[in-house]
Amino acid sequence: MASIQVEKVRKAFGNFEALKSVSLEVRDQEFTVLLGPSGCGKTTLLRIVAGLESETSGEVLIGGEDVTGLPPRARNIAMVFQNYAVFPHMTVYDNIGFGLRMKKMPEADVEAKVQRAAAMMHIEEQLPKYTGQLSGGQRQRVAVARALAMEPRVLLMDEPLSNLDALLRMEMRAELKGLLQESKTTTIYVTHDQVEAMSLADRIAVMYQGEIVQYDEPIDVYQKPETTFVGGFIGSPPMNFIELSASEVNGRSYGRIGDSRIQMPAGVTGDVVLGIRPEDLEVVTDAPEGSFAARATVVEPLGPHQQLTMTVGGQTIRVTAAPDLEVWPGASLDLLPNPNRIRWFDSRSGQAIG
Amino acid sequence: MNDATSTVPVRSRRTGIITERTLPYVLLLPSVLFLLVLFGWPLAEAFIVALSNESGEWTLDNFREMADDLNFADAFRNTVLLVVIVVPLQLALALGLAMLLNQLRRGRDIYLYIWTIPLGISDLAAGIVWLAIMAERGYLNTILNGLGIIDGPALWLSYETPVVLFFAVVVAEIWRATAIVLVILVAGMQLIPREYNEAAEMFGANAWQRFIKITLPVLKPSLQTALILRTILAFEVFAVVIALGGRNLPVLVGEAFYWQFEYQDTGVASAYATLILVISVLATIFYLRVLRVREETLT
Repeated sequence: MASIQVEKVRKAFGNFEALKSVSLEVRDQEFTVLLGPSGCGKTTLLRIVAGLESETSGEVLIGGEDVTGLPPRARNIAMVFQNYAVFPHMTVYDNIGFGLRMKKMPEADVEAKVQRAAAMMHIEEQLPKYTGQLSGGQRQRVAVARALAMEPRVLLMDEPLSNLDALLRMEMRAELKGLLQESKTTTIYVTHDQVEAMSLADRIAVMYQGEIVQYDEPIDVYQKPETTFVGGFIGSPPMNFIELSASEVNGRSYGRIGDSRIQMPAGVTGDVVLGIRPEDLEVVTDAPEGSFAARATVVEPLGPHQQLTMTVGGQTIRVTAAPDLEVWPGASLDLLPNPNRIRWFDSRSGQAIG
Repeated sequence: MNDATSTVPVRSRRTGIITERTLPYVLLLPSVLFLLVLFGWPLAEAFIVALSNESGEWTLDNFREMADDLNFADAFRNTVLLVVIVVPLQLALALGLAMLLNQLRRGRDIYLYIWTIPLGISDLAAGIVWLAIMAERGYLNTILNGLGIIDGPALWLSYETPVVLFFAVVVAEIWRATAIVLVILVAGMQLIPREYNEAAEMFGANAWQRFIKITLPVLKPSLQTALILRTILAFEVFAVVIALGGRNLPVLVGEAFYWQFEYQDTGVASAYATLILVISVLATIFYLRVLRVREETLT
């Protein structure tokens, strides 16, 4: 158990800058998820913490100790790889015990720890088998057990569930969460799956183009995205962005959405973007102050709710509506954004305002 | 779907000789015939010739004559010694080179091509290349003379210096045929996912431990192929020896050659050929057993 500090780590591959001076702190026992689209640098950052990749500049500290330049085996950490990387020429038992034996641990202790880790991952039955005889899900369990058996200070996971099918992924996700809450191991977990990130993380670091654009608790990342990228990347469907131009009327600024006006916070002027999540747009009937009219173009009944694609002033938005709402393509609805959930962004930089 | 696609005339599965079940055998037939005519028949012929006398009676006389020959013990010993020294050296060299090549981020193919040039040279030509180096007035003597280590030309490849001759053959063989082992091992190593090595490193294995515990075992199928190929060919060493030492360093295939073409005795030549075949088969069985790969460990 230990904290992790990444200090101004930069990584260049030739002319390509994979990481641009990234700093990240993971508290002791914290579960941090690095989330971002492919190519954002999240795996590179994880591999630098692991010691599998060397940083161009910057430092990595684990448990307050500078491990920059140390090989992975000297860092007292464990890792779960995306493609499992369980050894095909060894039994499940030998795979889980590999790291312990490398530490020259007495065989009796190895056995106890292997049994314990196998029990945690529910693979006691598979111990004598070779990994080639196992399914993908079971191999990933072996990979996790091999990491847990080490009782590492820090656990690193590189998209560990991405090779599993959807149902298995959900099952493993819940199981991992329970397991890691119990073991209280400091963890960095890389994924491009926002649901995985939301469900597992204590804090999510959203990465984009070699930078961490937001590092917050999942609910804050979801509700208070700091850039339009974060709002658009997290949430399915993503946050709606409506471009408006602020104009002053009687000393207050207003923006125009379709035929309606919406009041903007004091001090906001010029071209701005209103961000609102599909579920924070309420369908209302009496056109109250602050609501605007939009026309439905596509209606998708999804069971628990209906997914509406609508246009307003030439811009497309998505709305999550109640399943029993009567609506058809071409229908016009009044929408009232939840004022507490509106985010304002600068239309040029995409940065949140206020 | 268009019906036309499913009504394209397909030969019925039940009629004719070619059915779904027999098709693989029918396709294999030409190569089986080829093997039978060009390998099976001469092989059987060699056995028969080796195991019979001129009047067609079964006998071990040819083998007796082979074993009683003055050169047989030397030829047998030299051949075995060459295999025992050359093959492990080639394996070690090729493994080392393959590991180095595997670390290269670029230019790997260029190095590989350069190292495989000797493979394109016939073994007799390779022998002559080394003859040019080791001969009385060859490059080696010129250099040694120039450095003042020897005074005047020295004889390296005569019957008086069998040890030097032997090691000249070892060096030439290594130069000539290590590349085939290298090519097989590099191909095998490229199939090993990089994550195996990284996982092993993560879990505490140093470079040597990773090599012993991960790379070598996972590489076993390639090692097996390379060893079988190299060992069988090493037992058949001939042209390099002839080029460098003539009959000063007798080897088994060389003796078969002399009995066939000098003494015109096909019986004893066939006995030699049979002996080499038996040794090769035994070596292959040995490697197949010792380096066998459990089916369940293949992923």
